[in-house]
Amino acid sequence: MAKAFKYGLKGITGFLEPAERELLRSLIGDVISMLQPAENSSKDPLAALIGLDMDVQEPTDRAVRRLLPNVMKDDDGASLEFRQLTERSLRETKIGALRAAALDLDKDDVVLTADGARHWSMALNDVRLVLAERLDIRDEEDAEHVHLMQDWSQAEDVESYLALVYNFTTWLQESLVQAMLQSLDSRA
Amino acid sequence: MSLSVAPGPVTREGTRTGTEASIDSLTAPDIPWNLVIWNDPVNLMSYVSYVFQSYFGYSESKANKLMMEVHKKGRSIVAHGSKEQVERHAVAMHGFGLWATVEKATGGTGGNSGKSGGSGQGKGKRG
Repeated sequence: MAKAFKYGLKGITGFLEPAERELLRSLIGDVISMLQPAENSSKDPLAALIGLDMDVQEPTDRAVRRLLPNVMKDDDGASLEFRQLTERSLRETKIGALRAAALDLDKDDVVLTADGARHWSMALNDVRLVLAERLDIRDEEDAEHVHLMQDWSQAEDVESYLALVYNFTTWLQESLVQAMLQSLDSRA
Repeated sequence: MSLSVAPGPVTREGTRTGTEASIDSLTAPDIPWNLVIWNDPVNLMSYVSYVFQSYFGYSESKANKLMMEVHKKGRSIVAHGSKEQVERHAVAMHGFGLWATVEKATGGTGGNSGKSGGSGQGKGKRG
């Protein structure tokens, strides 16, 4: 079993079993592939260099839309314009955090710096957002319902398996964030 | 709240040129924008508070108060400034996975208007 993250002299440390690391690695890989920008977009090298992408459209996949939301609630036109200016670099920020977290999975003991912990928390959050879309978690009640699923021997279909994975990543992120909050306290 | 059309200091002399006038109206420095964070059932309350503390440099109590406002009221204005400033914050929030939007601070609509910054913690202060 994984051990909860702790804040101590060495920074933020945690422990994951090989199977848990493998699971996280594949979840992270899935989210990275969802975030990878389409190859054919933005052929203009100068535009690509400054992160501009005039071919960008609002994502059709719900989970991707949750990862890359509109910047204005009631103005799709302005949101799209903003998306063309910023979405590419936002995708890169997210992929960067996900890749950094995946690299830390190569060892049993996870030892994180402040930056490393931030990347991990962002990566776990994005993984959870995607799982939540797949599990159709729309409100607190749905979340409670999924939360009840804790016993791996009950995992008999894709949905219950996803629910267990969601709960595992939730527990892991919560323990990480508690350690990060402690490290903020001790710096203040 | 600050949609006043009073020309302010530029009236001190009658020599203002047309160019200056049009720049004044273009920049509209007194119309602030809000950064709004929306509730969702996935983001952890601890994580949201951590983001408010670490990114905005808010105290633990201010971060928790804003986080609870998001949680209970469905949304909270967590920062304001120029359009460019709040847009930059919004991208950072999207990086963290929070659901953030920007809006013009018109005052009057929604739970809290553009007045909630600084010392404003009058209403809705509950443990």
